[in-house]
Amino acid sequence: MTTAIAGRARKADERKGPADTAHRPRGPWAPYLFISPFYLLYVLFMLVPVVVSLWLSLTEWVGLGTPHWVGLRNYRLLLTDISFHRALGNTAVFVLVAVCVVVPPALLIAQVLNTRGLRARDLWRTAYFVPIVVSPILVALIFGLLFDRQFGLINSVLRALFGTGGVDWLGDPSLAKVSIALVMLWRWTGYLTVFFLAGLQNVPRELYEAAALDGAGRLRVFTTVTLPALKPVTAFVVVTSFIGAAQIFEEPYLLTGGGPAESTLSVTMFIYRAAFQRQQFGYAAAAAVVLFVLVFGLSQLFNRLLGIGRATS
Amino acid sequence: MTRTRVPLYGVLVLLLLAFLAPLLWALSGSFKPRGDIFAYPPQPIPDPFTLDNYQRLFSGQPFWRWFLMSTVVALVATTVSVFVCALAGYGFAKFRFAGKRLLFGVMFSSLSIPFAVILVPLFVILVKTGLGSPWFALIVPWVAPAFGIFMMQQYIVQSVPDSVLEAARIDGASEFGIFRTIVLPLLRPSLGALAVWQFLQSYNSFLWPLVLVSDSSQYTLPLGLQTLFVSEQRQYDLVLAGAVIAVVPAVALFVLLRKQLLEGLSTGVVKG
Repeated sequence: MTTAIAGRARKADERKGPADTAHRPRGPWAPYLFISPFYLLYVLFMLVPVVVSLWLSLTEWVGLGTPHWVGLRNYRLLLTDISFHRALGNTAVFVLVAVCVVVPPALLIAQVLNTRGLRARDLWRTAYFVPIVVSPILVALIFGLLFDRQFGLINSVLRALFGTGGVDWLGDPSLAKVSIALVMLWRWTGYLTVFFLAGLQNVPRELYEAAALDGAGRLRVFTTVTLPALKPVTAFVVVTSFIGAAQIFEEPYLLTGGGPAESTLSVTMFIYRAAFQRQQFGYAAAAAVVLFVLVFGLSQLFNRLLGIGRATS
Repeated sequence: MTRTRVPLYGVLVLLLLAFLAPLLWALSGSFKPRGDIFAYPPQPIPDPFTLDNYQRLFSGQPFWRWFLMSTVVALVATTVSVFVCALAGYGFAKFRFAGKRLLFGVMFSSLSIPFAVILVPLFVILVKTGLGSPWFALIVPWVAPAFGIFMMQQYIVQSVPDSVLEAARIDGASEFGIFRTIVLPLLRPSLGALAVWQFLQSYNSFLWPLVLVSDSSQYTLPLGLQTLFVSEQRQYDLVLAGAVIAVVPAVALFVLLRKQLLEGLSTGVVKG
């Protein structure tokens, strides 16, 4: 599920909190009735599963019969499971790619799209956004064909330009990571651009004019006016990208199957593999709890660090 | 001025190509005979042009079933979730009540719970309680998106004036009546945006159907396409044709409602 969505809201919310302009309804129960469908579904399909996950993580269970209580054993096993360490490490790499490799170009493109008097801004913005609209599985299938060692278009182009083709994009451990990073770049950049562009269009013109009067150069304007004004958007984009990349699944699953030698195995893939291919439900649940603690904890921490919670306004 | 603008548009066009080329390559490949798909240099226009891939796609597999499965599930999930979000968004935007902050915070925190965390228990719960019928279970993960509630809440705060609600109350309208007859119509643009987003989430989902559905007649599109890809013959030609058909509803819907969607997505972040 997309996480893209996930972080979005957090920031703006904490900044402002739910609006309190409202008034009292006639019946005291009215507001609770309005929000109750959500909470009913939330409890059933979110809260209960999280609690069940915690409980399952303390058991050994093959999916049939009764789960067998084993206490913290699954966690102890995770501590020494090299595959799990790899999954964590790979996922960390994907998170870094999402935050450090994907975000900067998105900001740059947004800058370009924000140029005064640019024509067909809507067209560019729409076209760049399209990759996120496309199902990740199609993305993986298409890129799988493009990256193909023998026939793939990418190798064909390399062969034609430099005479050296046959790059094993998906079969070489470090190149496989690069390939997945490229797909992430392709999929996410345009999506994030939309947020930066909206942020840029919200920067008051007077700030730029004042900076121009002060004789500030382009770079100076960027660092003293643009970046500070974009702080809330950037924080949001970073947290969203973090949560999204932390649960990456389709790309490695479909492009590389987690290989070669588990070099692209992600935590979500690890959980999937443990539960649904190896019938280690308790073990999978323990890995899920670790992921939960990391993602939930770190995203709260980022919110603090990035000042999402106590921003201006 | 035009002279200085040339590099700018050059960059934009290059980016456009980079973002759309893989999709255009798939589109063009879907009309080529199998042997031509990987030909180099790539031919942008298929020659010979053939519909053979599409024909074999429809005759060889239950493609329409997969398509129907995905579409119906996505439509139901969208309808339910949009309604739930509008209700809760309104509740949070226009009422004051005990525990509001806490409840809002709880809803919010669910945004940073990765789906993989509830994957295993959700599967266990739905299968063990006999609710594992794909028609029900495929919809479940999408029905209560906190993001949608937040989006609605932001929009309602900005665009539904308190005075209108107050006037309706004085006229004796019920709270739900006010929601149905006054608030919902005012929300139309943002409901459209949220609906598109929710549709795409469900329509494009892969991990949950992968876990849940084992009967190939109940596959969703992504699952069906995956089987073509991982099958022994690696049916590239069919995969490309299927990919093209699968992407059409998503892209069409997006292009149609792009303005609301793109603005709706960024509103909360920028103005929040």
